[in-house]
Amino acid sequence: MQTFEFEGKTTEEAIENARLKLNIPKEEMDFEIIEPGSAGIFGLVGGRNAMIKVTTREEEPDFFEEGNGLAIAKEVLENILSLIPMEGTTVNAKQEDGVITLNIKGDESGILIGRKGRTLDALQFIVNKVVNKSLERRAQVVVDSENYRQRRNDSLIQMALRMGDRAKKIRKPVATNILNPHDRRIVHLALRDDEKLDTRSRGEGIFKKVLIVPKR
Amino acid sequence: MKDLIAYIAKALVDKPEEVAVSEIQGEQTSVIELKVAKEDLGKVIGKQGRTARAMRTILSAASTKIKKRSVLEIIE
Repeated sequence: MQTFEFEGKTTEEAIENARLKLNIPKEEMDFEIIEPGSAGIFGLVGGRNAMIKVTTREEEPDFFEEGNGLAIAKEVLENILSLIPMEGTTVNAKQEDGVITLNIKGDESGILIGRKGRTLDALQFIVNKVVNKSLERRAQVVVDSENYRQRRNDSLIQMALRMGDRAKKIRKPVATNILNPHDRRIVHLALRDDEKLDTRSRGEGIFKKVLIVPKR
Repeated sequence: MKDLIAYIAKALVDKPEEVAVSEIQGEQTSVIELKVAKEDLGKVIGKQGRTARAMRTILSAASTKIKKRSVLEIIE
């Protein structure tokens, strides 16, 4: 089951929009009027669009040609969260340039993020696997909560710059902690433009670190 | 806990009808045993155990929430 929101000048128009987009007859739709909409004074000032929330009952048909992966990704994550069980969490899904971003909102997102984002990464990994199993074209899924991804990137960049300074000062290589490929990439990119430093990955398998080496 | 692992495993494998999960409850720790079709074993373990590790991470987050410990065993 899934919910979608639709807008229109009137409720009827919003329902019609939903019907066209979801490709299901009006009788099979469960909808709820969020905002009845008003024409405003003389249809000019203060007019508001009508908003409805539609819940589909059946297994999802192939709507949103592009968004098919999006629907699967959202459903899988919602199902996993409901089984954990996390009450009162909602998942917002969007797709931009082929990247599907699922944002989890809720009171207990701390549990879902985990130490250094481990739980978030695990959820992301599983959702990616499931989505790409049923799609022909590969899609990338990012699972985020409380803007964790951005915060993590910022703190990695800060760390990289700090370690870079230290490497230059002591004129010896400095190694980061063990980082995953995504995090290593952030470190490499953060120091890419520093002509006095070189970065390389060191280690095997999942135990790779980034070595920051001052150039002579 | 059992349902959580069963759902994830079924979503990953080719033969969801052959997924079987049992839970052995202890006082503190419970053991979740996951069985899948032989051909699907690789799918739930993953390259260098990545999928199994991800499932264990999600399981431990779920256990933390109910203040218990759970261990996932994949039965061959």
